[in-house]
Amino acid sequence: MFNEVLFLLSGLLTVFGALAVVFTKNLMHACVYLLASLFGVAGLYLTLGADFLAAAQIVVYAGGVVVLMLFAVMLTGGTVKDAGRYAMLKVPSMGNAKTFSIAALGVLVALSMTTKIILGIGRSYDASKELPAFTSTVESIGTLLVTDHVLAFEISSVLLLGALVGAVVISRPRKS
Amino acid sequence: MNDSIVSYLSQFPAYKSFVSAMSSAMGFDAAGIATLLVFFVACFVVVNVLALVGGLGTYAERKISADIQMRQGPNRVGPYGILQFLADGVKMISKEDLMPRNADKFLYTVAPLLCLVGVLATLAVLPFSSGFTLTDLNIGVFYLLGVSSLVGVGIFLGGYSSNSKWSMLGGMRGASQIISYEVPVTLSILAIVVLGGGLSFGTLVGAQGGLPHEWFVLHNPFTFVAFIVFFIGALAESNRAPFDLPEAESELVSGYHTEYTGMRFGFFALAEYIEVFVLCGVAAALFLGGYKVPFNLGTGEFLVNTLNVGPLLASKVGNFLQLGSFVTKTLLLYYVVIWCRWTFPRLRVDHLMVICWKYLTPIALVNLVGCAVWMWAFNGQSLFKIVFGH
Repeated sequence: MFNEVLFLLSGLLTVFGALAVVFTKNLMHACVYLLASLFGVAGLYLTLGADFLAAAQIVVYAGGVVVLMLFAVMLTGGTVKDAGRYAMLKVPSMGNAKTFSIAALGVLVALSMTTKIILGIGRSYDASKELPAFTSTVESIGTLLVTDHVLAFEISSVLLLGALVGAVVISRPRKS
Repeated sequence: MNDSIVSYLSQFPAYKSFVSAMSSAMGFDAAGIATLLVFFVACFVVVNVLALVGGLGTYAERKISADIQMRQGPNRVGPYGILQFLADGVKMISKEDLMPRNADKFLYTVAPLLCLVGVLATLAVLPFSSGFTLTDLNIGVFYLLGVSSLVGVGIFLGGYSSNSKWSMLGGMRGASQIISYEVPVTLSILAIVVLGGGLSFGTLVGAQGGLPHEWFVLHNPFTFVAFIVFFIGALAESNRAPFDLPEAESELVSGYHTEYTGMRFGFFALAEYIEVFVLCGVAAALFLGGYKVPFNLGTGEFLVNTLNVGPLLASKVGNFLQLGSFVTKTLLLYYVVIWCRWTFPRLRVDHLMVICWKYLTPIALVNLVGCAVWMWAFNGQSLFKIVFGH
């Protein structure tokens, strides 16, 4: 009962947040709606019993990514009116034939993959089955990260370190 | 399931008879409804008590600052002026609710709410005592870090949406400061997680004892430094002096809430004072033994063994003792926070960032590694145990 209510609430938050992100005209508002949508996704993780993932979602997105987005949007003037000097709407160029065809191919591939996954879920879905009893995922995630997936873990940390060093190199004042 | 206030209450016969009475009255098993009801009541009580603590915090701030500056402080409303915060609250509600004409109305309305919601959501895992914790999540500390970062978003949006240069500068400073100081704070919390072996407040407090030498702050030299790093970081995260650059009144009028009036401003102020309480509570829980009471008084074993009190009554008394222990430690830290505010001058913006990234973050990293090495080398024994051998 509570699980269904929680699922519905977080699902609605996710979907309507995402729709609001797309349909709002103000980029700053879009960031706030995105925050709501990301909280909805955290709620979806919770209804599936992935507590650590939900908390990580909130820490990473609410704490870091959305604030950085707000910064970036604000510093680049996200709310400047789109109208040009002659009150014509300025629509930035969306690309050329090459980019459009690549995007169409990408959409096709993604669509076929998602339909395959969704069809698989639909075939194996059994509404009478109950969710397994809730167990904390913290220990198992920690154990897996430093045993089975240690290579991926290390590679991603090296990647992040590289990004950090790169940011410092780019933002450093040049000599001369 | 996690330990929560419901699982604590459900061991008493009164709660069971209440549930069975409700079940017979409603004609079906009412355990779920009773759980919901208890959580509602408990949340209501906790939020209101903490709002009261926040209100009294403003009074304490003014009284202690007056003491430090050899003044009287508020002394007209009620005995020793203790009802001053009520008078302030009434004043704020009755003030005109102004909004700058070019403000971003949606964000202007949402910003104070985000601040308050972010702070109030952290109360869910704050360990008041072993029984009265609203819920002892498996990921308690991590959850707390996550939801409290909403405050940063609120401050930034408040500064941006006011459409005023002072607010804008304050909001930008606030956001950059909160994001930066989250790093050393999280790293020093991680050092404690390494010692305690869990992310839930129950595990972390349970790994400590009632007496000071059993606290994590005196466990080894690294945790002592981690406590100091955490405390400095907490001051900066809650925008308290000497890190109150987002609202530096000598440069920015009053920073991100310059344009806010009435209860909207009240929300920002309330959020700040409750956040200070929460961060002091976290510091007390992680480093100063939290709700632990010496000599097994908290679990009630002492009362059962010496006075032959029933175990249920003893655990009730023990819980209130634990509550007293936690609140005392937290309020002492609260005093230190206010004391810092009225004795240290404000930092410069670049000094703030230098302290965070060039000093606190490396120190916290070394601490984390140091704690891990200590756990490995000495089998998790504290310094006291190694020296005195018991």
